[in-house]
Formats: sequence, C-alpha cells, structure tokens
Amino acid sequence: MSIILDKVNYIYGSGTAYEIMALKDINLVIEDGQFIGIIGHTGSGKSTLIQHLNGLIKATSGGIYYNGEDISDSDFDKKKLRSKVGLVFQYPEHQLFEVNVFEDVCFGPRNLGLTEKEAQLRAFEALRMVGFDEELFYQSPFELSGGQKRRVAIAGVLAMKPEVLILDEPTAGLDPRGRDEILDQIKKLHETTNMSVILVSHSMEDVAKYVSRLIVMNQGQIMFDDTPKEVFRHYKKLEEIGLAAPQVTYIMNQLNEKGIPVNTNATTIEEAKEEILRVFHNRKDEPSF
Amino acid sequence: MGIIKSENLIFEYIRRDEEGNVEAINRAVNGVNLDIKQGDFVAILGHNGSGKSTLAKHLNAILRPTEGDLWIDGHDAKDLNKLWDIRKTAGMVFQNPDNQIIATVVEEDVGFGPENLGIPTAEIWERVDKALKSVNMLKYRKHSPNKLSGGQKQRVAIAGIVAMQPKCIVLDEPTAMLDPNGRKEVIDTITRLNREEKVTVILITHYMEEVIGADQIYVMDQGSVVMQGTPKEIFSRVWELKKYRLDVPQVTLLAEELRNSGLQLPEGILTIDELVDEICQLY
Repeated sequence: MSIILDKVNYIYGSGTAYEIMALKDINLVIEDGQFIGIIGHTGSGKSTLIQHLNGLIKATSGGIYYNGEDISDSDFDKKKLRSKVGLVFQYPEHQLFEVNVFEDVCFGPRNLGLTEKEAQLRAFEALRMVGFDEELFYQSPFELSGGQKRRVAIAGVLAMKPEVLILDEPTAGLDPRGRDEILDQIKKLHETTNMSVILVSHSMEDVAKYVSRLIVMNQGQIMFDDTPKEVFRHYKKLEEIGLAAPQVTYIMNQLNEKGIPVNTNATTIEEAKEEILRVFHNRKDEPSF
Repeated sequence: MGIIKSENLIFEYIRRDEEGNVEAINRAVNGVNLDIKQGDFVAILGHNGSGKSTLAKHLNAILRPTEGDLWIDGHDAKDLNKLWDIRKTAGMVFQNPDNQIIATVVEEDVGFGPENLGIPTAEIWERVDKALKSVNMLKYRKHSPNKLSGGQKQRVAIAGIVAMQPKCIVLDEPTAMLDPNGRKEVIDTITRLNREEKVTVILITHYMEEVIGADQIYVMDQGSVVMQGTPKEIFSRVWELKKYRLDVPQVTLLAEELRNSGLQLPEGILTIDELVDEICQLY
C-alpha cells in the first residue's frame, strides 16, 4: 500500500486573473504504516496537498498513484479510494448530523453498501478505537463536549476502515488535556493497526512529539522532508517562512550559545531534560583542580 | 470599583421541551466574583465546557445574569436600558475571523462599528485610520478581506472593535485557528493595545504561552473560578493545573522536571531567557 505523487502541479483559478499556483512540482512517496506530519503557514498548500491524496482535487498536471494505479484513470474506482484514504477535516464536528452518536458513525459504512449488521459492527469498533465511552453511544452528538464530538467525527472516518488516515488540525480549539488525549489515541491507533497517519498541524511541539517524518510546505513546494530532528535543526529557515521550532529547541540553542555544552537536537521535553542532566552530571565527574 | 465587577454571578442554560416545560437546567456559570481594574491584562483559562465563553458573553451583554450582580464600568448588566452603554464599553472578538468580517473592503469593515454608533463621517475615517495603524494593517486598507491571512483577518476584526474606542476588549480564543505567525501577530497586537493605549484586555485561550505576560489569570472549572493569581503563581502549580485539564508552558514544564531531578531551579519560570539564565548560574 503506497501513495506516490509524481511532479504534481495544481493551479487555482486557471486562466483567470486570480491564477494561483497552489502546488508546484510535488514529488512524494507515502509508504505503508508511516506517521507523517505536515506543517506550513496558512496558504502554504497543505490543505490543497491532502485533498489530492483522496482525489477530492484533481491535479492540474502530474500523476498520483495509489497502490500503483493512476487515480486519474477513467476506470479507477474513486469511491473506493475515498474509503481507503480517510480525510478528517478541520472542525469535523461541524459535519455531525444524526440523531445519536452511533447512527452518525454508521452513516459512512452504510454508504459503502455494507449490510446493516456489518455497518453497526464497524461503528462499534470505530467508537471503541477512539476511546469513546459506551454510555454515551445513544446521546445526541450535539450535547457532547468539544473533545468528545471530535472523537465521534474521527470514528465516522475510521468506520470506513481506511488504510491511510489524514487529519487536518485535529486538535484546533481543544483544551490542553483534550489535545493530548486525541493525539495519544491517534498514536495508539497507528501502532495497533499499522494504518498510515498524516497529521496536518500548527503545533511544532505536537509534531516533534508524535511523528517520525515531517514535511514542511512553503509556497506550494516541499521545503523539507525529513525526521523532525533534522527539520528543526533549520529553525532559522523555518522562522523565515512563518513557522518556528518547539520551545525546547530554542532553550537548547541558547544554552549552547552561552557555553553550556548541550547537544542542540533535542525537540521534546523528555529529551531536553535528559540532555541537560547529562551535561550537569559529566561536569560533576570532572576533577575540579 | 474596577471596570468589571461581579458578585456571585450565576448563569443557567434552560432547555425546554415542545410544550415549554423545563427539561434540563445547566448551570454554566456558578457564583463567579470578578474585580478587574481598568488597564489590566487578564487571562481566563479553563477546559472546553468550563464556562469561560459563557462568562465572556456576559461582559458585553450578549447574555445576562440569571442571578447575582455584574457591573461593566458602573453599568448594571441586568438593566436592559444599559445594553448599548455596555456594548460601547466592552467590545468582543471571536475565534473565527471569517464570521466577523462583513464588508468587502478592509477600511469599510473597520468603519462599520463607529458608523453604527452614529459618529460623524469625518471622525469615522479618523478612527479607522488610527485603528488600522494600531493593529499594523494600514497598508491593507483598500484590500479585500478574503485575500488576507488568518492573522491579518483577525487583526482587522480587532481594528473594527478598536475603532469603537471601547475601554475594554474581550477576546474569546482569538488565535485558535491561526498558524504560529498569525498567533504571534495577534498576541503582539493586543499586548501593544494594552500597554500603549491602556485598553483593558480579557483574553480567553487554550495556549498557555500566550498568557505569561498577563497581570492576572483566572482559571475556571465547572462554571466557577478555581484559581486566581499572577502567571508566576498560577504556573507554579503544575499538578493542580493538570487536574483542570490544563497545562503549563513548555519552558515551565521543563524547569519543573529538572527541579524534580535535583537541579536547584526556582519555581514558576515562565520564559526561555529566565530558564537559560538560571541554568547558566548553576553550571
């Protein structure tokens, strides 16, 4: 299972005065089971890019291949693609509409043409996967808290059994605990199902903590595509394009500039703590005269 | 008396069935006492559903108290005749900039508020100029708002409030939908308004880093204020905050972890510079 983008270009408003090149020459291979983060400022092309991955937007030029098949072929099954590449939009709870939570999650699998029993089974499984309390299954989705609503919306996509799960800022507007809970759940999902996960985020701290590969978008192009550690090494370049590194990166760099010999590539609190303690420990071991 | 003062403020959402019988009562604000001084920068923290936004909507009379008292610049919030005085005193900025912009040109959007207050035309344009300057958006005055970035749109929304010259601005998660740059632009703007123009700012947010410069922080849970103090005082209580589904800035958390591992750092470190200095002194 893989998605390959080959020299993909996309132009909004082609042929009008407002022509904007939203994606420029994108080459990308998304392999089985990866946990990928995408960052970039507003308007950098992140959303346009992810909408190409399940065929919601058709590339102006270039090819997109899902498991080796060209998704722009006229006989390619787009409906199947959309069930295999699940997209969770920003504020997905705005799309909830059914009378209760369980019915809402059943909507997707029912539309795949599954039997009622199979659809319900999938809904049950999906709600369990997002850690949703069984007692609330028959509540109206509109009476839940923000974090709960968002879980229901994510379950609605999971019930389609996607092979790739794409989430566009799944934690926007949630309180700190809600952010941690949703991301921990997604991480667990990734580890237990081997689903590929693509996380679009504005939080450098979150991508540093969770993803193993980080793609940085700028002006419709891929600027970096590497491990978070390698990407955050270029924090000055990231600032130039309206992004930043996690706070921890700044702390380590400042300590280093002041002559404390810490390694600057820590990106999470845990790593920074270990590194600072290591330096203090080494110093104590030195004979003082 | 401060610009905003409340005593035992209570608000209940009452849900009724089709016949109008009461089905459920949800007390969203439960006995809140506020006393906010003119010119203060106040932050309100709390998890989703803790009652922050319901409280905020009282401050410019979108909602009115079920019980208790609330005075905005001396106007009694329960008195319907004071509605417009209150709205002139306290302006409100919401999460999604797209829901707050109504005109097709930036300067007309900013002029909408003062125009509705019946200000003479010449003065409206003066105010628009000044407001756009104060949010650093003057050069976009002839632009169409829908071509702006999120942070720029939110600054136009703030300018629209500033042009009405309120004594107090209430911002309900103004940065939740913005990228890091947009967040910084908005926070810098409201900090400047507070410091230079002495506007009272009430900021509701889920980003702990944004409130380290506040004068006072109120933490809400289940409709009540459960913690109150300066950022240093509040963020020293890491575990209490976690209990309320909140967090501390990354810098503070790292300092706390290092302290627990034996480094002699003081409590309540809030900024990168502070932490770096303290570590250098120990080394």
